[in-house]
Amino acid sequence: MKQQGKDIGLCLCKVCRQLNSSDLTHCQRCEAELQVRDYSSLQKSWALLITAAILLVPANIYPITMLTNQGQVRHDTIFSGILHLVHSDMLPIAVIVFTASILVPWIKIIGLSIYLCAISFDIPISKKKLMVGFHIIEWIGRWSMLDLFVISITVALVNMGQLLDAKPAPAATAFALVILLTQLAAKVLDTRLLWDRLEPQDDTN
Amino acid sequence: MHENAAENSVILCRSCDLAVRKRALPSGVRALCPRCSTALYDTPYCSVNGMLALCISALVFYFPANFLPVLEIHFFGSIRTTTVFQGAFAVFDQGYWVVGLAVLAAAVIGPGLLLLSILTQILIVKWGLSRLFWRNSLKQLLKFHGVLSQLTMLEIYVISFLVSSFQLSDFSDIYFGMGTFCFTMLFLVTLFLQREYDLEHMWTLLEGHR
Repeated sequence: MKQQGKDIGLCLCKVCRQLNSSDLTHCQRCEAELQVRDYSSLQKSWALLITAAILLVPANIYPITMLTNQGQVRHDTIFSGILHLVHSDMLPIAVIVFTASILVPWIKIIGLSIYLCAISFDIPISKKKLMVGFHIIEWIGRWSMLDLFVISITVALVNMGQLLDAKPAPAATAFALVILLTQLAAKVLDTRLLWDRLEPQDDTN
Repeated sequence: MHENAAENSVILCRSCDLAVRKRALPSGVRALCPRCSTALYDTPYCSVNGMLALCISALVFYFPANFLPVLEIHFFGSIRTTTVFQGAFAVFDQGYWVVGLAVLAAAVIGPGLLLLSILTQILIVKWGLSRLFWRNSLKQLLKFHGVLSQLTMLEIYVISFLVSSFQLSDFSDIYFGMGTFCFTMLFLVTLFLQREYDLEHMWTLLEGHR
């Protein structure tokens, strides 16, 4: 039975996952609006993703923290902060921070753009692999928040004037927006659009 | 409800819209979509009283976790402490309100609203299902549950204690406070609560009372 809900006149509610007949306009359980396919979600997702990709540039080239240690001021970007961790022999921590603040945002933006390209331009990539990738992106996306939490704890704890003082720097806002926008881009997208392009001969894809 | 039996046994995958025939599962097994391997459904083990107990213990840990010191720094004889709540406000005060809001929402407001929402849902399920007003409130709470559980990022905050304590140990001595313990407990209890909680089961409880 390789039938889509669209073909047999059924529609799943996006909010409460109740099965509805596609003649209805609102879900019979939670009264949310029903949409068999949300075609505009593709555009929304692209818009959010492109904004996030643009913001990724300031997030990486501007300093994200400013540390005053005994009168000396040091500005750290995301990358130089990680390098500093490597040099002070904290490799495991450096790996965690590298994954959360560099790897995850890049994977998210590249992965989502591949996914959106596959839908928009009908690129023949294995749909199953794309979907697995999408689930991974949805799950790891939140872990970028780690860097912001660390900054907030550090800033609140270390405030001893010229002796030792940590402050956030402009990239922090850009980085927070990158996380927010990529999460929204993944959430807004109607993934059912990908599976409509199914040709009869490759329905195992 | 005017669904016939055939329609009832079919479900649709939320990611790829494939129609799948629903079958009974042994406990502890999750059904995946055969086409795109999205999780479809599992056998709900959703004990209302168990959830109430977990929810109350999570709320007990909630306030000390957010308002007791989580990290302590000993620096040239002076001791500084910080709480999760102060952490969010410190970045807010520096003018980085986007960051402050993000931290506040993910670590303080999100978990708080999630716990309150689950508590209200349980209380309504236990005592209030016969009134229309409470049924409507339950419906609204269930609709917002997905957003709230996505907003809650306790597990990431627990890791960030570790990361920041290691980072700062470069400069001076760092100690964990009572808040760290409470926050970790809050995270663990909420984790078990969310494992126990089953949104679909809550919807059927509401449906069964029409």
